[in-house]
Amino acid sequence: MTNNSNNGFNNWQKSFEKETKKNLSDANSETDEGIDIKPVYTKEDLENFSFVEKHSLPGQWPYTRGPKASMYTNRPWTIRQYAGFSTAEESNEFYKKNLESGQKGLSVAFDLPTHRGYDSDDDLVMGDVGKAGVAIDTVEDMKILFNNIPLDQMSVSMTMNGAVLPVLASFIVAGEEQGVDRSLLSGTIQNDILKEFMVRNTYIYPPEPSMKIVADIIEFTSKEMPKFNSISISGYHMQEAGADNVLELAYTLADGIEYVRAAMSKGLDVDDFAPRLSFFFAIGTDFFMEIAKLRAARTLWAKIMKDFGAKNERSLILRTHCQTSGVSLTEKDPYNNIIRTSYEALSAILGGTQSLHTNSFDEAIALPTDESARIARNTQLILQNETGVTKTVDPLAGSYFIENLTEELSKKAWDIITEIEELGGMTKAVKAGIPKLKIEESATKKQAKVDSGSRVVVGVNKYKNPKEPSVDVRVIDNNRVRDDQIKKIHAIKQSRNTKAVEKALTNLTNAAKDETNLLIPCIEAIKLRATVGEVSKALEQVYGRHFAKSLSVSGVYGKHFEGDKEFMKVESKIKEFENLNGRRPRVLVVKMGQDGHDRGAKIVATSFADMGFDVDMGPLFQSPKDVAKDAIENDVHAIGVSTLAAGHKTLVPELMKGLKEIDPKSKIIVFVGGIIPEQDYEFLYENNVSAIFGPGSNIIESAEKVIDLISDNLSKE
Amino acid sequence: MELVDKIIKGERAAIAKAITLVESSKDTDQQISRQLISELIKKPGKSIRVGFSGPPGVGKSTFIESFGSYLVSQNYKLGILAIDPSSQITGGSILGDKTRMVEISKNPNTFIRSTPSRGTLGGISMGTREASIILDAAGYNFIFIETVGVGQSEIVASNLVDIFTLIVGPGSGDELQGIKKGITEYADIFIVNKNDGELKMEASKTAADYKSALSYYKKLDALEKQVLLVSAIEQTGMEDVIKTINQIIDQNKLKGIFDERRADQLEYWIEEEVKNIIASDITKRLASKGNIPKYSKKVMKNEMSMYEAVETITKDTLKQ
Ligand code: B12
Ligand SMILES: Nc1nc2c(ncn2[C@@H]2O[C@H](COP(=O)(O)OP(=O)(O)OP(=O)(O)O)[C@@H](O)[C@H]2O)c(=O)[nH]1
Ligand SMILES: [Mg+2]
Repeated sequence: MTNNSNNGFNNWQKSFEKETKKNLSDANSETDEGIDIKPVYTKEDLENFSFVEKHSLPGQWPYTRGPKASMYTNRPWTIRQYAGFSTAEESNEFYKKNLESGQKGLSVAFDLPTHRGYDSDDDLVMGDVGKAGVAIDTVEDMKILFNNIPLDQMSVSMTMNGAVLPVLASFIVAGEEQGVDRSLLSGTIQNDILKEFMVRNTYIYPPEPSMKIVADIIEFTSKEMPKFNSISISGYHMQEAGADNVLELAYTLADGIEYVRAAMSKGLDVDDFAPRLSFFFAIGTDFFMEIAKLRAARTLWAKIMKDFGAKNERSLILRTHCQTSGVSLTEKDPYNNIIRTSYEALSAILGGTQSLHTNSFDEAIALPTDESARIARNTQLILQNETGVTKTVDPLAGSYFIENLTEELSKKAWDIITEIEELGGMTKAVKAGIPKLKIEESATKKQAKVDSGSRVVVGVNKYKNPKEPSVDVRVIDNNRVRDDQIKKIHAIKQSRNTKAVEKALTNLTNAAKDETNLLIPCIEAIKLRATVGEVSKALEQVYGRHFAKSLSVSGVYGKHFEGDKEFMKVESKIKEFENLNGRRPRVLVVKMGQDGHDRGAKIVATSFADMGFDVDMGPLFQSPKDVAKDAIENDVHAIGVSTLAAGHKTLVPELMKGLKEIDPKSKIIVFVGGIIPEQDYEFLYENNVSAIFGPGSNIIESAEKVIDLISDNLSKE
Repeated sequence: MELVDKIIKGERAAIAKAITLVESSKDTDQQISRQLISELIKKPGKSIRVGFSGPPGVGKSTFIESFGSYLVSQNYKLGILAIDPSSQITGGSILGDKTRMVEISKNPNTFIRSTPSRGTLGGISMGTREASIILDAAGYNFIFIETVGVGQSEIVASNLVDIFTLIVGPGSGDELQGIKKGITEYADIFIVNKNDGELKMEASKTAADYKSALSYYKKLDALEKQVLLVSAIEQTGMEDVIKTINQIIDQNKLKGIFDERRADQLEYWIEEEVKNIIASDITKRLASKGNIPKYSKKVMKNEMSMYEAVETITKDTLKQ
């Protein structure tokens, strides 16, 4: 530091300390990532970088400043809204309307049965058909989905991982039957199975065969679909499940490394497929951090790919889709969400994303309505057309703070990546359950911060709206959707050549026993009108279905509340309960149907245990009947149903029935948490639900209510 | 008792309530529980109680899922008592065993109960023995007791079952040195799990280590010990396990060892109960007389020695 600037800094420091009455050394704030943010950054903070290169340019090594030289000055990012619900017919209508209103690319959300490889007529998915995405059972549905949408012109992104083979096959066949050769199809298939085992939970087969399927798809697309992205390596779901930005960044890139290895093990040269790898990140509310994350991701990926021996420049470049954070959006005072989403979108743009989804303000209530989807889309149209953000490439480059943060994030992520590599790679780490547990720990900490008020969420734990607005909700009649789908399945099963289908399925099963690329026999079966469920089962015969074992964090929530009055009040109520009843209050926390949102359930379980409850944790994908058996055998006082994928109106009454079937006098009380639109409260109460805890519920308050309800219920005996 | 009839009929809710009673720390519950157990003991079923113990994470729950599926597919009724080690000292517990027993927990021929161990000795919770009596009366053919093996716990657990099984992982042969003697005393079967994939070689080697260690101690012990290789995940070796269990049971019955063990266990149980009652009685008396604070003050003031205080208090407490 020159003397001059040194004096300048000393003067600034004096003024700062005078204004704040704090020592500068005490004025840092720590982020969730464990990064110390200083009140001011200077030229000195651009020194000693090992990842970021100070004077790099956009579209040039190490691509920190963007994958392209011109970025949005030439073409703005693609507005790509993720959507899908009910039947293919209804989703198709919705897509066409959106495209007319300025949306540029499609992104298909499939329903949970499709994700998990079940047909709509399967008993296991009674509550889930068409609820949280569009139901696709056969190629006929896929054709309807893209009716009047020319697939040689429209780029289509598909979030599909578990049932990736039959769904991609259906897309290819639908294209062919539209007259479009597969080589002309453009878009992306998510095909990222590792993060399914970690956080998204729509896996079907165990990790090893699942990785083989990923590699098959990379191989096939690299040879036959040059315009198609073979994979979307996703950190998005990790952040949504609770990961901080370093975890998201590190695990995503570590997943990427694993996929590159899997593809190379098929004998492909890295440059054959690497240009078609794409990424997907979440953009949360930590404005500058998110910008730095995208810059760091590009920087690190370039380094990783160089180490793999990539020669083609396009192999080094990380291209990404982004989505604003759904979990940052609240059920309470929902119009605030429009504002949150706007800031997040701006962050994504300043970070240099290639395409973007912006969430609707009714995110924490239900799937978007036409109206809320319009506002979400307009958020991006306004950014593109009115704010001038497209006119300069990477406008924050050179900012002391942003560059320093980019370097810090890179360093921290690199340490984790190195650690995972030493462990033997991400597949191994995932099998051991370590990343999932780390993410859950981070999620639990975040919850504790919100519940204790140390993190403000406007409208939730501070500045509450005394007059909550009521908003319109998209309602999906899942019985009707299911009936429609079943009819279609029956008609197809009547008209197809059954013998040929059976033969094609047997071929597929046999192919799974050797090294054949599975997409090829899959396309054959789908062409003959085999269903998604049939194809999945044909493979299941060889691979089996994967059941995740669940580990839990403990003590993380409680630690945050040492000495907290409200927390101690619940603890003492529990002790009192134990003295009176000879055991602790015992609660079974469950997920039913195909709903894989387990963040809330896991957090509630660990927090309740920290307060002194005995908590039974059910596995994912339980049927209401299994839950009833489990609850009764363990003689729990209460069942807490965590439901986010809109199955509650089918599944909760089934659970009540299940309890009475085993024990007509059952006194077990049932409460429900998760995404429950207000319109459904009465229905649930009529079905004897004792309490409902919606998004944003304070867990300590919820726990107190639960222990009171249990005590009341016992005193009635 | 109405509850007794319901249990014998196999009513799920009644069995569950009964287990709650025997696990309860409440006096009134304990009284009812004693009556209940006295009744049930008069109507014994024919179940075989098998203990599965082993270090954390060795695959006990996964093994039980796998082996249990095999048994229920053979039409056996299976009761499982899983003592969950994950309890915290202050807070409550997260009981996650069922996430590892997904398939069998759905089966109508199973009854699965998890219990927090609360850090009691050997991981065996209060009421485990009584719970197995309840499941026996309810007609379950096999009762499995899953406990985490840490130090003393195997000995306590082995006192509750007809056959005691230690599950170990590949590579655990190294630890054999320290536990050799103890092992031969209480375990009947050694199961080396995770005999699959990359671990296969290691698993075979571990099994061989156990076999040679056991043959060394064979002379000291009349009973043959079995070492089996399984993979819970790939569900291999399950027939061997049931065959071995049946063999040992048959052989023990023939030799009278089966009944002998049950008699020993009864003795142990009676002794334990008597000790418990005396201990809790003494604790109450001690508290009500307030002798301890009174005499410790005297010791502090050097008015008497520590041992004099102990003797005086003991005499006074035992005085009727
Ligand atoms: C995070 C998230 C995800 C993550 C899930 C990660 C994970 N492992 O959990 C990811 C990104 C993977 C994901 C994926 C999908 N998601 Co999502 N997701 C969300 C989101 C943004 C937040 C949910 C959350 O975790 N919140 C934080 C936790 C702590 O809150 P919580 O669960 O609500 O729990 C609190 C209370 O509800 C209550 N509570 C909850 N349970 C219980 C239980 C008890 C016992 C008690 C006392 C209290 C209680 O207390 C908790 C603390 O306050 C919601 C929208 C939103 N903002 O809520 C959409 C949302 C639930 N997702 C949705 C959809 C459609 C999906 C997909 C099906 C999309 C698709 N078609 O592919 C997929 C598939 C996921 C699957 N396998 O099921 C929809 C569901 C639509 C509906 N209900 O009508 C929602 C509502 C978004 C939307 N509006 O479209 N999602
Ligand atoms: N390779 C392999 N892994 C197994 C096998 N059985 C269990 N595992 C794995 O070992 C880990 C622990 O399994 P659990 O069944 O939970 O072990 P446990 O002994 O019941 O654990 P605690 O109850 O926590 O003491 C899991 O990751 C299982 O997937 C097996 O046969 N082979
Ligand atoms: Mg276990």
